[in-house]
Amino acid sequence: MRDEADIRQRLGLEPGTPPLVALRGIGKIFPGVIANADVDFEVLPGEIHALLGENGAGKSTLMNVLTGIYQPDSGEILVGGYAQSFAAPQDAIAAGIGMVHQHFKLVQAFTVAENVHLGWGDTPARISAADLEARTAALAATLNLAVKPGAVVADLSTGEQQRVEILRVLSRQARVLILDEPTAVLTPAEAQELFVALRGFVAQGNAVIFISHKLDEVLEIAGRITILRQGRKVATEWAEDCTERSLAQLMVGRDIVLSDLRGRPDGVAGPGAPVLRLEGVGLKGLLTGITLEVRAGEILGVAGVAGNGQRELCQVMTGLARPTEGRVLLEGVDLSTAGPGKVAAVGVGHIPEDRLASGVAPALSITDNAVLREYRAPPVSRGPWFLPRAALALAQQIAGVAEVAVPDFAMPVRNLSGGNQQRLVARREMRIARKVLVAAYPSRGLDVGAINTMMRYFTELRDQGVAVVLVSEELEELLNLSDRIAVLFHGRIMGVVEGAEADLDEIGLMMGGQSRNSQNGDSQNGAAA
Amino acid sequence: MNLHLQRLPSARPGMAFGARVAALVLALLTAAAVLAAAGFAPLDLAAQVLRSTFGSRFGLEDLGLLLTPLIYTGLAVAVGLRIGAWNIGAEGQFNIGAFCAAGVALFVPGPVWLLLPLMMVAGAMGGALWILVPTLARAYADVSELITTLLLNFVALLLVYFVATGPWLDPSGHALATTARLPVAVPEFWGIVHWGFPVAVALALLLAVVFAFSRWGYEVRISGSNPGAARYAGIPVTRHLIGVMLLSGALAGLGGMMEVAGTVGRLQGGISNNYGYLGIMVAVLARAAPLGVLASALLMAVILNGGIILQTQGLTTNTVLAVTGLILLFSAIGDELAHYRVIRRQEKG
Amino acid sequence: MTLIRELSRRGFLNMGAAAGLGLMLPKTGLIRPAFAAAPLPPVAEEAAMIAWGYVGPTADEGWTWAHDQGRLAVEKAFPKLKTSFVESVPYSADASRIYRQFVADGANMVFANSNYGDFLYDVAKRAPEVAFYECDGRLAMENLGTYYVQHWYPSYVTGVAAGLMSKTGKLGYVASFPVPSVYSGTNAFLMGARSVNPAATVQAIVINSWFDPQAAAQAGTALLDNGCDVLFGIMDEAAYLQVAEQRGAKAVMWNTDIRRYGPSAYISSIMVDFGPWYVEQVRRRLAGEWTPSEDILPMAKGVDRDAWGESVPPEVAAQADAAREKILSGWSPFTGEIKDSNGAIKVAAGQTMTERELYEWNWSIEGVSGLDA
Repeated sequence: MRDEADIRQRLGLEPGTPPLVALRGIGKIFPGVIANADVDFEVLPGEIHALLGENGAGKSTLMNVLTGIYQPDSGEILVGGYAQSFAAPQDAIAAGIGMVHQHFKLVQAFTVAENVHLGWGDTPARISAADLEARTAALAATLNLAVKPGAVVADLSTGEQQRVEILRVLSRQARVLILDEPTAVLTPAEAQELFVALRGFVAQGNAVIFISHKLDEVLEIAGRITILRQGRKVATEWAEDCTERSLAQLMVGRDIVLSDLRGRPDGVAGPGAPVLRLEGVGLKGLLTGITLEVRAGEILGVAGVAGNGQRELCQVMTGLARPTEGRVLLEGVDLSTAGPGKVAAVGVGHIPEDRLASGVAPALSITDNAVLREYRAPPVSRGPWFLPRAALALAQQIAGVAEVAVPDFAMPVRNLSGGNQQRLVARREMRIARKVLVAAYPSRGLDVGAINTMMRYFTELRDQGVAVVLVSEELEELLNLSDRIAVLFHGRIMGVVEGAEADLDEIGLMMGGQSRNSQNGDSQNGAAA
Repeated sequence: MNLHLQRLPSARPGMAFGARVAALVLALLTAAAVLAAAGFAPLDLAAQVLRSTFGSRFGLEDLGLLLTPLIYTGLAVAVGLRIGAWNIGAEGQFNIGAFCAAGVALFVPGPVWLLLPLMMVAGAMGGALWILVPTLARAYADVSELITTLLLNFVALLLVYFVATGPWLDPSGHALATTARLPVAVPEFWGIVHWGFPVAVALALLLAVVFAFSRWGYEVRISGSNPGAARYAGIPVTRHLIGVMLLSGALAGLGGMMEVAGTVGRLQGGISNNYGYLGIMVAVLARAAPLGVLASALLMAVILNGGIILQTQGLTTNTVLAVTGLILLFSAIGDELAHYRVIRRQEKG
Repeated sequence: MTLIRELSRRGFLNMGAAAGLGLMLPKTGLIRPAFAAAPLPPVAEEAAMIAWGYVGPTADEGWTWAHDQGRLAVEKAFPKLKTSFVESVPYSADASRIYRQFVADGANMVFANSNYGDFLYDVAKRAPEVAFYECDGRLAMENLGTYYVQHWYPSYVTGVAAGLMSKTGKLGYVASFPVPSVYSGTNAFLMGARSVNPAATVQAIVINSWFDPQAAAQAGTALLDNGCDVLFGIMDEAAYLQVAEQRGAKAVMWNTDIRRYGPSAYISSIMVDFGPWYVEQVRRRLAGEWTPSEDILPMAKGVDRDAWGESVPPEVAAQADAAREKILSGWSPFTGEIKDSNGAIKVAAGQTMTERELYEWNWSIEGVSGLDA
């Protein structure tokens, strides 16, 4: 891997062949977040190079830099061996770099031919529909992509739409094709068709950058794999040297510095009686047979690759979704159909996964947002009346505890930094979380200081005897905090391990879909010993 | 040194107000420049408008009469905006409110003290009924109320035309394309200004209080700003959406009732006189705040009234419409510009 | 064009004075004596302001144009007074605002044409010192008079010509609203046509406007498509004449001579001339003689058919003009028995409709379709 010549040899290239594209020392900083730091990345002719990493690892930022959407704060972009700077996406396209996004950028009402030619400088100013379709058909034939030029995009299947999108990118003479999670929308058969097309494309001396967090398909399609974690490049490996397990370890971080927060201060007892209990909970096939207990004064970590049912699990625990099977019990009371208001009222707080979409109303004032959980009762409201003065007092109190300096409580909450928003939301939820706090990705997008504050909040709650469910993609965070860790895969619990005895390899395997000790995930309580 | 524009996430209040004033002044200056170029004397015209509008009881009464329907439709649209619904159909609901109220007045015998409240209820219910289908379609099928409410306007307008020139046509033959004079009228409040005006102002105050100081108002605010957050907080978003949209329709319908029974006295085609569409402007200028509706309706009424005065001075209605459009355009630009501030930045390197 | 001008200038000026005397002569246009109110005080010519509210634009070459000619005639007769006018006054509360604004601007006399009804009455009640006239009005007050034209007679005369020239016997009518003017127009037209072709019918299409060239053209096209070959209507512009010209059909128009928009389609027009009448009313107002009157200008004195179009055969013109002469000599075509569109006898045999009945006609005779609900 270290040897440049060796790489080229293995790819069947002349020694000294320049990479089609190379990134050197790329850094990109957003306010409070380091999105990329010192990333080296290169793509050689003829290879399919996978870019692997968890959500938030910096894959999208890196590709946005490569396609000219962002300008890097440091580092340089080399195209064909020469440094180049992309001021706009058009520059990247001109340099032969094209990207197919997860969400297609096609005009649904237009035909395939129209979409392919839309906004393309080579399109003749005046052309008949028939000519447009003929050009498209010829183009598709040379690129070996089966599309129907005359069909309206809205009538096509997702796989066909993706081919149109790829054709659109390739028609601009792209030599480097970037695909963002391309198989997420495809059936397995369609995915195989895509792989065939990609192999054909790189065989002509082009290259593909394949972004994914699905380990199995990355191993199948890619020649080399670059892994990003927390904005930095961890490694670039030959696919044949990797296993799913080794990749998982690289993704989640093998050199985890343990800072054990599981210890209780003197006089605080360990986990007590079960508070929240899920019995065989299922949700429209997204969750299956989830049986789980959370005890008072315990932090239960939920690990898993994002998109394996974490969102749905939080929803059923907080009343936002009604389980289609099984029951959710809080201290023996069935809350399966109670709805989010009732669940919150009985003492379940929830730090939602997507704060701006559901945790706050970004355009409304800090006061309005701070009282979202307690406006129903005195002192914020009396009878049918809402008392703005009492609301302000409560907001000030929450901001005080959260240590957020607010110049003006009437200002929209979106004016606060992400970290401060999250602190306010967390403190707001902690006030109502008398029994349970469900925290989904609470540290996502936060800097180290804010993450530490979050962790402190959770141990504080735990020590008060609250049951805390911590959903996270940061294994390090889970290992530091959790008394037990449950691992989700495809909506099932693969196993529950004691935090103190957690083995990273084992968790990595379960995240990849192997149940614990080959046992059924449902029997996790017994397995926890 | 280099000047840059920086966009702030929200406009500072002082800037926002200043931008509004600047927009108004600019719009009027632009209109004045056009008028001057066309050979009119803008200052004389402006003085004439102000004198005629504010200089006499007659002018003030006229203003009050014009203001009344604008407050109702402005409130109707503003209320919808509070929960993120665009009621483009206030025009139609206004027509149906007038239609229902006229129906009660023409065909239900009874004493005035009973008929007037009954007509108010009929007008409001008619307006609410007219927005019911768009409301349910939005609430349960996520069909944009923008289109559905708009389309129903034409149905309402033609329905009123039809009954006023057909089945309900004045049998006396004295009126040509209207119903008979309604036997019941909204009593006069001040000169020709009827009680519909103080009722409208009271409704605006009431709504302002309810939105600021009630739990319902808070829940509607959250639901309108971010339905996801509202659901997360256990707020019944759909129920509030339905309630608020029906209220919106009812306000427009009540406006129609006041217009037919207070101002016009007969049901006739075109009774809405574009008040529903003007209400959209009123609500947008007011940023959906009920008290703001009072102010922007006043502004709109002065402009429309000024338009009538200008017409007797030889200008056409289109000129006036162009001025209102300019004010809205400049206000929108001003609102956006209020988000920016100019900063000086040292050139890099 | 010359015909009506000639006719109307002859002996027309005395009409208002006659009305003032309260003489109730048949077909002089006076359907009711004036109010016995005390006349409004005189106004100096240089201090006077006379205002007109028009239903359409003065450039319509039709109704509004004809009335604006009247306004210009007033300016010519009284060069020192001021006139003011607003075009396209809507049928809404805005009409009240415009008339009130005239009052606020100091108008001594306001002419509203036409049909502003309550919107005008509300203003008139509150401005007792101002003289009001409502064209095609139905209600007089202490300071409000009405004026109109006996257009049903020339409508009958042109109906005779239309009946003779129509091959299908199907006549079309582009109607504004189902109002008395439209009823009397369609009925008179059909009665004229039936006097020469008993099988003739009139089909009307209501377009809810007095001035909407596009809708009028569409209505005209639809009528021709339905087999009509002569169009009549009450539009303030020439759209359906142009349609008739293109389609080789014939048309009878209103208000003014607009044959240049369809020279070969043009049969005639119901010509109006309000000039002398306006001048006389203004004179009375200035002189301090004015009390409200209800005038319906008779045929040959304010309303008449236009000179026949180039495609009207001389024998057709002669037959229609014979009917005109007969009417001018005192005969009324509106004599029973007349049935309504449901076949019920509304006017018994031998009975003649009064001018007021004709003015307030609000039902269709047998053979007219499209107006009665």
